[in-house]
Amino acid sequence: METQSTAKTEAAAARFRVAVFADFVCPYSFLAVEQIDRLAGEYGVKPMWRPHWLHPDTPPEGCARERTPEADAKAERRNAWLKEMAPDQYARMHYPEKRQFSFLAFEALEFACDHGRDFAFKTAVYDLMWTEGHDIGEPETLMAAGERVGLDPAEMQIALHERLYAARALAAVNQARDIGITSTPTIFLGKTRINGWTYYEVMQQVMEKQGMHPREALAS
Amino acid sequence: MQQTYIVDSANAPWKRGSTEGITFACQVLLSGEDGGPEALRFRFDDSPSVYGHMHLTSQFQLLLNGAMDFPRGVKHLEALAIHYTDHNMPYGPFAVSGGHDMLVLHPKAGGIIAMSNLDARRQIHLGGRIFAALAADSAWQPLPGVPDGSFKLLMPPDYGPAAVIVKAPAHASLAMPAAEFGRYEVVLAGSVIMEGKPIAAPGFRYVRGEQPADPLVTAEHGATVAFLSFDRDVLAGGITGEGLAVEAAEAMARAI
Repeated sequence: METQSTAKTEAAAARFRVAVFADFVCPYSFLAVEQIDRLAGEYGVKPMWRPHWLHPDTPPEGCARERTPEADAKAERRNAWLKEMAPDQYARMHYPEKRQFSFLAFEALEFACDHGRDFAFKTAVYDLMWTEGHDIGEPETLMAAGERVGLDPAEMQIALHERLYAARALAAVNQARDIGITSTPTIFLGKTRINGWTYYEVMQQVMEKQGMHPREALAS
Repeated sequence: MQQTYIVDSANAPWKRGSTEGITFACQVLLSGEDGGPEALRFRFDDSPSVYGHMHLTSQFQLLLNGAMDFPRGVKHLEALAIHYTDHNMPYGPFAVSGGHDMLVLHPKAGGIIAMSNLDARRQIHLGGRIFAALAADSAWQPLPGVPDGSFKLLMPPDYGPAAVIVKAPAHASLAMPAAEFGRYEVVLAGSVIMEGKPIAAPGFRYVRGEQPADPLVTAEHGATVAFLSFDRDVLAGGITGEGLAVEAAEAMARAI
């Protein structure tokens, strides 16, 4: 009986839709990565990570950040907010000197998706960019992320060089726009849409209100 | 029961205070200790980050001067602006700058809870509303029945809570419907006669009841008045004397 019940719970978790629309270059999306990874572990759900392209005007080589008193004040505010919102993650973060090009990473995400490794891949990409100071506009960074999660870097290199996933990545970006995504991250937990970063405890409440409970609680 | 409170903010005493390292000057205009409304005026010293927090009751913030910046939603507010939240609806962190001056208006005592409190995060109102708008973004419209009068809506008409700014010449009578859930009527410019006494900016009246209150009447040089009406969210939350509410009340008492 217990095995049957566990199987039912796992089936419900597999059906429960969790989707996150985000851009790798968004610091608030980086804060959401750890939360969504935790959610997947605790509730047994299988989140989808989808692209929302914040800055389509960024060239492939990236662009220098503005250095004006206003831009500096804005950066000071943003850093203070990130520290307040997620002090542990903030301590590990290195804010990039330039705005990076994210579309190539979206293509790599599609490649990882075809190999069933997209969820782990996105975490590796965020880590490389936000905690290790790498440029995600560079194919080498994406190949390194892929290698960390068991993807073949040589195969990914070909896919990126040949732009095999460009059309699919663009379609995904357009899909996000078509469904009215304007905040990054935008998080769908079942029937609930959350615009922007929120507290993990809010996600827990949203899950539980829709009948989803942590696996640990069910086991006890 | 009809409730009416009149406050002459311009002549209320100021004191210095701080909360979690954030410093400010503050006026306690209505304490809420009698079960009625709670109104405070804050002038935060410039800060890049006032910590994320929530109150246990509905709230209008009326930004009278300076600016507030938020990471989400309406990201930049400059006076004159409003910021509304339902009970247990967190907001911030946010930055304050430029000679910040703000009225914090509650229908009842609401306390304050920092969002670093993990237990509090589990009591966030999931369906809670949050709304912000700059007055400069709304257009003036002619005010029916008052020649040379005008008004602007700061919130969508069917939103629930309502925010309207009315500008009227001298001796105009500003009649409003009954305020079932409570309404702050804040003088923004000029002066208004309240119970025979002229009240200048940013003085106000708070009314609540099933019958319409006596209309405000503008004084000799006319006035601009913000009417900030609550809806049924005021019936929820509050300082109940249990759990989180005790903590919220104590934190507010420490801060002011």
